[in-house]
Amino acid sequence: MKLELGNFYVKDIVFGDKTSYSNGILTINKEEALKVVMEDEHITEADLYIVKPGDKVRLVPVKEAIEPRVRVNGGPVFPGVTGKLMQAGNGRTHALKDCSVLVVGKHWGGFQDGLIDMSGEGAKYTYYSQLKNIVLVADTDEDFEKHEQQKKNRALRWAGMRLAEYIGSCVKDLEPEKLETFELEPVIRRSKNVNDLPSVVLVLQFQSQMEELGYNDLVYGWDTNRMLPTYMHPNEILDGAVISGSFMPCSSKWSTYDIQNFPMIRRLYEEHGKTINFLGVITTNLNVAMDQKERAALFVAQMAKSLGADGAIVAEEGYGNPDADFIACIVALEDAGIKTVGLTPECTGRDGRSQPLVTVDPKADAIVSTGDVSQLIELPPMETVIGELQSLARDGLAGGWAVDEILGPSVREDGSIIMENNSMFCGDQVVGWSIKTVKEF
Amino acid sequence: MMKKAIVYINQFFGQIGGEDKADFEPVIKEGLVGPALEYQNQLGDEVKVTHTIICGDNYMGSHTEEAINTILGFLEDKEFDIFFAGPAFRAGRYGTACGHIGKAVQEKFNVPVITSMNDENPGVEMFRKDLYIFKGGASAASMRNDIKKMVDFGKKILNGEELLSAEEEGYFGRGVRKQIWLNPPVTAADRVMDMLLKKLNGEPFQTELPIPPQDKVPIAPPIKDLSKATIAIVTSGGIVPVDNPDRIQSASATRWGRYDISGLDRLEKGVFKTIHAGFDPAVANEDPNVIVPLDAMRAFEREGKIGKLHEYFYSTVGTGTTQGEAARMAREMIPYLKEANVDGVILIST
Repeated sequence: MKLELGNFYVKDIVFGDKTSYSNGILTINKEEALKVVMEDEHITEADLYIVKPGDKVRLVPVKEAIEPRVRVNGGPVFPGVTGKLMQAGNGRTHALKDCSVLVVGKHWGGFQDGLIDMSGEGAKYTYYSQLKNIVLVADTDEDFEKHEQQKKNRALRWAGMRLAEYIGSCVKDLEPEKLETFELEPVIRRSKNVNDLPSVVLVLQFQSQMEELGYNDLVYGWDTNRMLPTYMHPNEILDGAVISGSFMPCSSKWSTYDIQNFPMIRRLYEEHGKTINFLGVITTNLNVAMDQKERAALFVAQMAKSLGADGAIVAEEGYGNPDADFIACIVALEDAGIKTVGLTPECTGRDGRSQPLVTVDPKADAIVSTGDVSQLIELPPMETVIGELQSLARDGLAGGWAVDEILGPSVREDGSIIMENNSMFCGDQVVGWSIKTVKEF
Repeated sequence: MMKKAIVYINQFFGQIGGEDKADFEPVIKEGLVGPALEYQNQLGDEVKVTHTIICGDNYMGSHTEEAINTILGFLEDKEFDIFFAGPAFRAGRYGTACGHIGKAVQEKFNVPVITSMNDENPGVEMFRKDLYIFKGGASAASMRNDIKKMVDFGKKILNGEELLSAEEEGYFGRGVRKQIWLNPPVTAADRVMDMLLKKLNGEPFQTELPIPPQDKVPIAPPIKDLSKATIAIVTSGGIVPVDNPDRIQSASATRWGRYDISGLDRLEKGVFKTIHAGFDPAVANEDPNVIVPLDAMRAFEREGKIGKLHEYFYSTVGTGTTQGEAARMAREMIPYLKEANVDGVILIST
């Protein structure tokens, strides 16, 4: 399987007559773009903004981030989601780099939504403050979930994907500034040099905790709650086979942009043939029932062993209940003789004194920590808010609250905020970007 | 303005005497005695050590409360910005004394307290969660070195400088884990790769999340006669009266409630619901008894399988709720359960 990613490095984004890309400038025809957004009759109103690093802008409730892309030989960017099913990870995809489409609720937020500050002290808490962003702010008629803490955000998330495809399509026929090639030989047909290196699998535990369909991550459009662990080519992950869901406290969530760019996969590719033999990805889930957790761990360990893995990396999307799957998977792999490293955020509580994972086991002796979801963050007012600031306090965002006797509400009258890291948009960057860790004080 | 420090030492370093003077009652002296001189030396011109407190180790050990109260009394009218105790090296009673007085001073006056002990000093395990205890030498030979570490850190606090992790600063970790940004930045992907290669090659590596010792609660002995037992229901599934009167949070809960179920045969939909944000609430809202099985417990009661069901059920939310908070809430519930002579609890998670 050979994937060519053609990169176009966006230096600036402007609105203009024709959606186009030239010399680093991405121009968007706003009217036409909004028409694509409004194709779904459930979108009742929508607007677009451009925000850049350093802008005095706070975005909340942020629901999703997507990298604008186009499949050069035709087909949807997200097979089985935005179009027909087809193989992802093979062929040529063009991508607009250093920018993302951010989807923000005009009013209503939920448990899984997050906050982004584009400048100031708050900017360091999310990756997206470094990107130039095309912000879709919209409302929907999905009244059934307007006041629900758990939102599927279906119309908004799909609008974001359509918009990303529409914008991405402007580079379909252009020559990319850089072409990256991702290719792995079939596992049993690799050269002796590669075969002699320690072989490694990457185990990705995608979020799947909701029993009802519509909230979980999708693999080729299939709800991860309804799958058993399976073997995938890393190119599929990098090329739109998996999209983010709408569940989990936001900081530990993986956005679709995160998944499209998965730094841990890229890092393994860099080492492939040098220090390791990268066998591929075992895609698994984080269902809530104990037998489902145990079954998934059994499948993962068996697949890793059958593939001949010497080492494994296990990454969990989320924390809390999923810690049980995370530890179970690591233990199962270690018991199978596979040397395993875990990748996870932790939750030590506001005083930092709580057990960092819900479940622990001494066999999990090698873990990289990407941050602490529960730490309190206090930020001054921001000049411009896109979305609705009150959603952080009112709508049950995982790191916000309406009432607290000691701390007061998350959103104060002057526009300053106090929140838990939990609601920083994909802030723990478990996919591999995180330069945070947790240390004892 | 010049900052002020006060130093605590024992009878030996306070030049009162050795073991025979270990019952020496606390005194406070203006100016510098013994190690206080070295503190002043190292603190330089920015911080003045105004007083030295001396107390016998045995006195602190056998009259702990009196000793603490006397010393807190000494300090009441003093202005000071920081408090140093020791260093206590490997001397167990001295270390324990530094811990007791340090903890009390920190709590009462809310000033930073710094002490130093050798890792074999029993005071370390007793007080490491409460105080900055620097890793010190085994004997007084390391006095200067130990005091230097304490003073350097103390100055950082007084100057409002960024404080690094326990390991980097050199004190025994207090069990407080906080996120930090690595400087220079190293991405998680790079750290994973590095750790994995070391692990694969059999080289030493350092986990970023040391697995704490497991805090396993043994399973309680069985209730001898269930038919005479009072059983209570406690849940982290977030079942509450629909108006959530105790305003229990939907995630990262710090609150809990107890709700009267005497006279009820089941929890009716629309009267009770779940406010838990960590699972799909549809089923529980349709029938709250799936989480708080009042209907089943009443049936057991009628059949005589259990003596009776306790009049209240207890509820909080488990998602994102830390173990520390959960343990606190349990401690708060226990007196109610004990008062009602509850023999057994059904603990329902979701």
